Amino acid sequence: MAKTILAVDDSSSLRQMVAFSLKAAGYQVVEAVDGQDGLDKAKQQTVDLVLTDQNMPKMDGLSLIKALRGLPAYQKVPILMLTTESSDEMKSKGRAAGANGWLVKPFDPQRLIEVVKKVIG
Amino acid sequence: MTRKKILGSHVKRLLSGVSDHGRRHLNEVETDLVQTNLLLEEAIEKLTGSFMAIHQVVGERQDAINRLLAGEAPSSEESARLTGMSGEIGQHVNSAITSMQFQDMTSQLLDRTLRRVSGLREFLTTLSEHGADIAPDSHSEEIVERLGKVSMALAIQSLELRSMLRKSVEQRHLESGDVELF
Repeated sequence: MAKTILAVDDSSSLRQMVAFSLKAAGYQVVEAVDGQDGLDKAKQQTVDLVLTDQNMPKMDGLSLIKALRGLPAYQKVPILMLTTESSDEMKSKGRAAGANGWLVKPFDPQRLIEVVKKVIG
Repeated sequence: MTRKKILGSHVKRLLSGVSDHGRRHLNEVETDLVQTNLLLEEAIEKLTGSFMAIHQVVGERQDAINRLLAGEAPSSEESARLTGMSGEIGQHVNSAITSMQFQDMTSQLLDRTLRRVSGLREFLTTLSEHGADIAPDSHSEEIVERLGKVSMALAIQSLELRSMLRKSVEQRHLESGDVELF
């Protein structure tokens, strides 16, 4: 059965490109338009991996990670940040919040798939 | 200090505050617009390259299909080339996907620019509103008090705007970013 990835980003074009790349590699993708939407969708259906942007309206990526880590079903689920943010300070905050990795945009689809495969197979 | 000197010092502080604030924001606006332009130029160049390359491979594949349909037997070289075409198209599509992410970055830069411009407009509005409250026959004490208030209001607005506008896009090229697993 295909593994499911929750892709959270407020940019619709970015979500489309992430979904296109992941679906082409055989993954199922659930899309969310911001952190709050991501949290709601994560509660409806437990996914195998969360890929989230940082700067979004309503709820940002770090807040989403903290909220997810507070849910029993998401304590071990890998969470990757995919963001334009590249500072060490932000990466440290992501790590402290419970992120398992940090990918700086723009992403290369092949590289993204390699990382996803490494994390969830 | 004489009243005249106190008034002069307040006027000086206000003028230099307005100038510093305005210049700082306009410099950031200029930097963000230059960065936006760089990203757009590179995106258009790379996307054009990707689409042309895809068009060429698709055309070559169609030619090969046409020859096969006409009953020609493909050479081993042509068979290998046909097999590799999907992968080649995939590489160009991947490259186009990386370039298309300019929209995400430039929209963040433009949003920041708009917020700065709007912050600057609010700053000038504050200046104008306080200026309108100064009557032509005001005493220098009143003017000093008013100038102190406007300087304080502008300093607060300036700080609020700066704290709200942390830069989140440093990219100046559309090359794939770093990956770090924790």
